[in-house]
Amino acid sequence: MSHTDRLLPALQGASEELARHGVRFEVFARLGESAHLVRDQDGALERRTTRELGVACRASGRGRAGFAAAAGGAARAGRQAALAALDALLPAPDPLPPRALLGSSGSALEHPAADPAAQEALTRELAEAFAAAPGRAVLVQVRVLTGTSTAALATGEGFHATAHAGGSVVELLVAPPEGPWRHFHFAAPTLADLRPDEVTRRAVEAALLATTGGAPERQLTDVLLAPAVAAPLVVALAQHLAREPADDAWARIRVASAWHLVDERPGPTGLLPLPWDGEGLPARRLVLASGGRLRERFATWELSQRTGLPPGGAVRPSYRHPPVPGPANLVVLAETAVSQPELLRLLNAGFYLAVPAGPVRVEPVTGRFALRAAAVAVRDGRPTTAHPLVELRGSFPRLLRGLAATGGDTESFSLAGAVTTPSLLVRRLEVA
Amino acid sequence: MVKDTASGLAELATVLARTRIAGLVDVFIERRTEVCWRLAGGRVLAREALLREGAAVRRDHRLVSGDGLERQALAALLGVNARELPAFSTPAFPEPPRLEDTLPELPARWSSVRWRWSWAAVLDGATAVPLHRPELAEITFPDGHRALTVWPPPLPGEEEAPEHPPVQPRPGTPRVLLAPAAAAVLIHELVGHPLEGDLLLRGASPWRGRQGDRILTLPLTVTDDPTRTDLPGGFTADDEGWPAKPRRLLTEGTLVGALADRESAPALGVDAGNARRAGIHTRPRPRVSNLVTTAADPLPHPPRNEARIEVVTLSSGTLEPASGAIVLQVREAYALRRGERHRPLAPFTLLGTLAALRAGMLAAADPTLPVAEPGWCAKEGEVVPTGAVAPWLLVAGVEVR
Repeated sequence: MSHTDRLLPALQGASEELARHGVRFEVFARLGESAHLVRDQDGALERRTTRELGVACRASGRGRAGFAAAAGGAARAGRQAALAALDALLPAPDPLPPRALLGSSGSALEHPAADPAAQEALTRELAEAFAAAPGRAVLVQVRVLTGTSTAALATGEGFHATAHAGGSVVELLVAPPEGPWRHFHFAAPTLADLRPDEVTRRAVEAALLATTGGAPERQLTDVLLAPAVAAPLVVALAQHLAREPADDAWARIRVASAWHLVDERPGPTGLLPLPWDGEGLPARRLVLASGGRLRERFATWELSQRTGLPPGGAVRPSYRHPPVPGPANLVVLAETAVSQPELLRLLNAGFYLAVPAGPVRVEPVTGRFALRAAAVAVRDGRPTTAHPLVELRGSFPRLLRGLAATGGDTESFSLAGAVTTPSLLVRRLEVA
Repeated sequence: MVKDTASGLAELATVLARTRIAGLVDVFIERRTEVCWRLAGGRVLAREALLREGAAVRRDHRLVSGDGLERQALAALLGVNARELPAFSTPAFPEPPRLEDTLPELPARWSSVRWRWSWAAVLDGATAVPLHRPELAEITFPDGHRALTVWPPPLPGEEEAPEHPPVQPRPGTPRVLLAPAAAAVLIHELVGHPLEGDLLLRGASPWRGRQGDRILTLPLTVTDDPTRTDLPGGFTADDEGWPAKPRRLLTEGTLVGALADRESAPALGVDAGNARRAGIHTRPRPRVSNLVTTAADPLPHPPRNEARIEVVTLSSGTLEPASGAIVLQVREAYALRRGERHRPLAPFTLLGTLAALRAGMLAAADPTLPVAEPGWCAKEGEVVPTGAVAPWLLVAGVEVR
């Protein structure tokens, strides 16, 4: 039985129930399968295999709309979701896009399932590479995750589409000889793309970069963000841009010409291309920032009806959530990829932030953000003092106007959505 | 509300024990339902419902989990034929509450209200242990802050609009007065998390090997109490089926306990009973439930005239175990002048160290209160509901940044 076949009973159960009630409807079902392998410092292995399967319904009629989701792949789950969605109907505009807009922009090939032997081999090779690496950094834990997902969407007006996605992630918890433990994240389309020697070299170098030292004085300064630090910030920026500012506020934001930020939904670049958006509109490239200004914005069909924005910017974090405007497959295009030594020379004086040390915190109302990271102070283009923990603070408008250059060291990450970014050199952010 | 009694689960457990599935540790099944009301300006914009059910089969060093509770789905997880399993049923999803009955007037500054009901059972050996937890209420605010209580959510008091706009606090190390909601987050990071057994054994806790040591000058007593089902972290049995019991962690500032699951309990020399799962797809781990903090000799009133800043709520707190750095993100605070709230302060960071805080907690004061923070507690991405009761704390030696 194919993955798509396993979604059919729930899709059919929901569709039949909703059709009986004479409403416009959309049914979305998703099967996500993931295999996790954790290897501890003592070599102990722990496996976790998860199958997340569920169905979501949106119903609309007579000036009311409702959403509900239920776990499981049987027809019963579909019926439960349908009845709960009908129960959730409240006065609201019709959120469902018209049939004529729906479609698919690409093929829907299934990804191969996880190979437990390959996962185990990778964890072993990583442990061996760490043991042989200079610098006495200890690999406390390695986690390997391989995941695939299949989604299907059907509407009461006869539209049906499927999509497949997949990827692999390696996370390392590393204890340097002194100072804070560090957490590293590497993502790639397949496990074979993650080379243990390269992953180890980069993790060890970064873990040993800032092991001792104090906090710097609070200051406005220039910063060079390694891809691992830039990635969560780029996601937070895109999520912030998905909010609904007043139009004049949007137009007033100044953007540095170095920004070329796109949501490459149809691929081929980026980690997680998909053929349609969270509502079944054909995937298209959304250019968020380029040419010195903000350009397109994320919009669901419902938002597009209220604001006039073009739809096609919906995402579904899981079957449990209704579609929302937001990023899916972010890519920071490095059209003038600057080498690392040249970036340090351009930085001249400031901080190189190498490893994130916690999530990005955002004040949604003000657009201010804060992020902790391990850093090295740079003077005259050369590293000087290590700072195991600094806090980078700023606002998204400042981040948008402060980008001075992008590196040639593009990496992909699987965070709240996929993001691919090089190092970013940003002028005038606060470091403390 | 109807809560069915589970039926057939004891028979299922018996069959599983008889089937002798290789390496089987336990089977965890869960049903959970949520309703989220999205709000704007005191009006309900949308209502979203979620019905979840699934099972997890734990074998030696392996967890297999899947959504759905049909016999076939469970059989697939167990690797047996569905015909080998007896029929079983679980409690029906209850009717969700009507928000308009619970809260006739909705505050304009709430972004959403979420209700959550869950039921679970652990099948271990030939026994089936049902786990009951309180229904939860989560309030979300426009700045993303979430407050967690048991259902129904408390009615909000009258709010006064601030006379002045918030100002940035001056950097420095002023004495800070933490209200119970903020004190609860500090205690959670300082005492709760670091005493979770897996972190202690992994060496990711500053309190490893410190049992019996006095770690706080202030004589605070901290108990993890899952039997407090009036708080969000309550349960009748933990997620490995052990009966809930209060666990003393700190007695008048001295370390006396640790939180353990089955795996970590022998190495720590304590009983199990603190295992919690973020859901069916995560394995049980030692976790905080409800942290109840009391002071030996609290002041009768918060000592506002001894502090320059009053912190009402935090948006987050973290303890970095290797360096001992404690970072508190302040969400709501006031500058104090002559014992009175003078001006609201914009969000800022409080930075401290374990060494500074051990001696820097100067006094505790009543009222000691149940609070809605820290609420959802995340550990390596796994989120569980927690509760807290805390006094006011007067703290020195933390830096405003």
